[in-house]
Amino acid sequence: MVRSWALSVDLSRSLAYAAIALALASLLLLIVELRRRQRGGGVVVAATGIFATSLLSLAVLRPATVMSRGSMVGPRLIVLADRSRSLDLPGDEGTRRETLNHALQRLKAAAGQARLRVLGFGEGPAVPWDPSSPVDVAPAVHSDLGAALASLAALPEERPASIVVLSDGRLDRPGEDQAGAAVQDALRGLRVPVHTVSLAHTVVPDASIRAVRAAGAAVAHQPLPLTIQIGCDGGLSCDDLTVSARELIDGGPPALLASGIAHVAQGTATVELTITLDRAGSRIVEVGIQSPSGDTIPDNDRRLLAFDVARDRVRVLHVAGRPSYDVRALRMWLKSDASVDVVAFFILRTQGDDVNAGEDDLALIPFPVHELFSEHLPSFDAVVLQDFNAQPYELLQHLPALARYVEHGGGLIMVGGPDSFAGGHYAGTRLADVLPVALESATTSAAFDLAPFKPNYTDVARSAPALRPLRSFNGDALPEMAGANRVGEARPGSSVLWTHPKLRTPSGAPMPILALGEKGDGRAIALAIDGTYRLAYSALGSETAGRAHAALWDGLLGWLMRDPRYEPAQIELEHGCLAGVPLSLKVRPLPGSEGALNVEVAHLEGRQVVVRQQPKTVKGGEPLIIDVGKLEPGGYSARVWVGTGPSTRKDFACERGGDEWADSRPDEARLGDIARSNGGEFLRAADAGRVPLPPATEVAVERHVNPLLPSWAWTLLAALSVGAHWIARRKTGLA
Amino acid sequence: MSRRSSRRDFLTDATLLGLGLLALPRRAHAFGEDGAFNPRPLLTGRSSFEGVRATAPARWARELVNRTSAPARLAPTPVRADDDALWSEPFAFLSGDAPLAPFTDSEIAHLRRFFAEGGVLFVDDAAPETGVFSRDVKRELARVLPDAAPIALGTEHVVFRTFYFIRRPYGRLEGPPKLEGIVRGGNAQVIFSSHDLGGALAQSPGGMWSVPVTPGGEVQRERAIRLAVNIAMYVLCSNYKDDQVHAPFLMRRRAVDVQ
Repeated sequence: MVRSWALSVDLSRSLAYAAIALALASLLLLIVELRRRQRGGGVVVAATGIFATSLLSLAVLRPATVMSRGSMVGPRLIVLADRSRSLDLPGDEGTRRETLNHALQRLKAAAGQARLRVLGFGEGPAVPWDPSSPVDVAPAVHSDLGAALASLAALPEERPASIVVLSDGRLDRPGEDQAGAAVQDALRGLRVPVHTVSLAHTVVPDASIRAVRAAGAAVAHQPLPLTIQIGCDGGLSCDDLTVSARELIDGGPPALLASGIAHVAQGTATVELTITLDRAGSRIVEVGIQSPSGDTIPDNDRRLLAFDVARDRVRVLHVAGRPSYDVRALRMWLKSDASVDVVAFFILRTQGDDVNAGEDDLALIPFPVHELFSEHLPSFDAVVLQDFNAQPYELLQHLPALARYVEHGGGLIMVGGPDSFAGGHYAGTRLADVLPVALESATTSAAFDLAPFKPNYTDVARSAPALRPLRSFNGDALPEMAGANRVGEARPGSSVLWTHPKLRTPSGAPMPILALGEKGDGRAIALAIDGTYRLAYSALGSETAGRAHAALWDGLLGWLMRDPRYEPAQIELEHGCLAGVPLSLKVRPLPGSEGALNVEVAHLEGRQVVVRQQPKTVKGGEPLIIDVGKLEPGGYSARVWVGTGPSTRKDFACERGGDEWADSRPDEARLGDIARSNGGEFLRAADAGRVPLPPATEVAVERHVNPLLPSWAWTLLAALSVGAHWIARRKTGLA
Repeated sequence: MSRRSSRRDFLTDATLLGLGLLALPRRAHAFGEDGAFNPRPLLTGRSSFEGVRATAPARWARELVNRTSAPARLAPTPVRADDDALWSEPFAFLSGDAPLAPFTDSEIAHLRRFFAEGGVLFVDDAAPETGVFSRDVKRELARVLPDAAPIALGTEHVVFRTFYFIRRPYGRLEGPPKLEGIVRGGNAQVIFSSHDLGGALAQSPGGMWSVPVTPGGEVQRERAIRLAVNIAMYVLCSNYKDDQVHAPFLMRRRAVDVQ
């Protein structure tokens, strides 16, 4: 117990001071009065006056003794430690992460009674974090101090006495300009000093791509200007650097999109490159520079950027060997969709036809096969070859290019007819390799079968999103077809949706009629019949007013173009992908999906599968988190499929440092500005122990107040002393 | 007919000849005749399709097969307007030379669905001198498609260039310089001819033309056949020749023709 005095039992401090001031003023008046009078007896008057004033004041205040028991509580200190990837960059001694640990140790050692709470900042709100913990926690891909401070200001808990920020200063937020004011805004009135501790100040020799900015969203076939900012610091000699932008292609070497020269002046250069991405969906573009000699961080000389390429309109090349009702129905459907641009070429006349007219009387144009399949092919999103014989129209020589087009992300639909598949001389060609069914060379008569039949749905088809629209109209019912092309086995990985009820492949399996397959970046569909128009024109078609035909082609073209509505699942990255950091994928199967969900992650360039997850059971389309593990830098493709159905994929890139390594220079100026503008101090890591700490606060847990005398005693003594003073004044002639 | 070969058309010939297409056997046109152009005569009421013009649909199909790459059913069979079979194909051909009985409710319902599914009807007046058939068909089609009325189809319409360049329609008679049509959703779903196209196409079993063509004789018959081919191509390809990629080329050629 600690004994102490209290001036008053119940008066507030201000009233107590007012009473004392009044007493002092009374004594002052008494002194002035006694100095002015000439007669004796002043000592008695003064003594009684002082005594009376004192007792009167004590009667008003009523002092007391206080017996208390309590403890000293240190100030609450929030330490915000940078947990971004940039801490793995070189610092003054070792990495910045090592410097952070040392600085934190110094701070803890100097904290004394201060209550330290260490939080990490990176993405979003500040989170509890122990940098020295052996637990493997993924570094953040951002360094958002602003969000962390804002989260502190919003916490409904004891406000901190001060905040200490440990960072290299290379922050996403606040930006370089007005960093201090931005921190004030982030704290939203939480007026506490913010001290900053710099984890590095040495600029290492490093050339890097500091930023890549795209002017707008990436749209397929539309030129996209990229502004590339390049930095060169730390005494590195960089004059002219070659900058290139390449697209990572599934299963092939990167394709050069654009290149230029960066003229480095005063440690920086800016280059404008315009790229055109022809394929929609997630695309990986590598932007890189030549590493100059002496570059200590070569990992940031190339950036892998994931572009989610949108499609303004689907550009379809529709080539038909002859006009028929099936061609007509497909054309009418393509033309009815405002989001589809159709470029159509139909062979209306062959050399065997007797037109009985001069060429000038014919409204026919030459089929520009070379122009279409060499110059313009990349500008199309999908190619439909409908009952088209490759041999007479010189398409054979372009089939390798058409196959590459598919492998690089294009879509292909081969629609049946006598001149399609083996009957169209596609067997044994490069194009046959990208089809989802095998083709065998055959005589014309053996290339197709003319027995009428109704295709059968497979089990895969019943859960395939591409056929859901059609099945919503017709269920398992399909119209009778007049015949079918003879095709071989379904290729591994392809999905057979319809089969022939009687014909068999060499292995004895039902012959595929409709099959979907992927090859490289692209997709291909084999439809070995020429009668889908019967979904509109037949007794069955009339039941749906012809909408079943549109529903079939909606699904097929949608799947070909990776429309999310027809994908078996959506794949998202839980966080950005950093090399060496565990990666998780969030997979959302299509509602209603059921079965075993398979996940495979492969290198884009070499297609080597790096991760193959054990199947997980999907029920009701609930999202699943798939732990992929740690990956090396590069472009990857994650492929997901349910059961034996068609797969969906997402391309993504893993970088060693990402944005956090783009600019390796520490930014002490920004940390200094933050400290100065928020009443704190800026220190370097070596001085972390000198962070100013507020004093500890005593907190009482038990307190007893005892008045020195009861109130009536003080009142009696005051009255007696005032009376004595009055008598003394009267005897000396004072009023 | 002239068979001049211009420099502009060299590519076509080179493409086809260079690959020895002539040496190839005649191709199969489809799986059977499925999907082939089928000029089905449309029968309404108690009408039947007989007389000299009964051979016209087969001749139409034969001319299409001989002149173009399009497949056609060489022995078209009539279809009744109140038969569900009307919906199994997107084309029918209504011809007559006498007053037309009012459509029954079932015929109206069937035709309405036929048009709703994108069907095309060619109406050929075999007696344009009287115009009675055309008048009655328009009256009845107004009951089927009350929201649409016939309009003139001049040479700017794609049907005049789907295969041949045609400057005006011809049939057994020279008739009016334009066709008429009911256009719905940008497509002519009904095409009216007052030229007796069927009369120009009709042949006897011995291969002789059944009906003389006036006033242009055989030249006019050839033009009538070209119109029939173009109508078939319109049914099979719709407005393919209006596509932007073709328009500049066709416009250039037309300018040359005019000069």
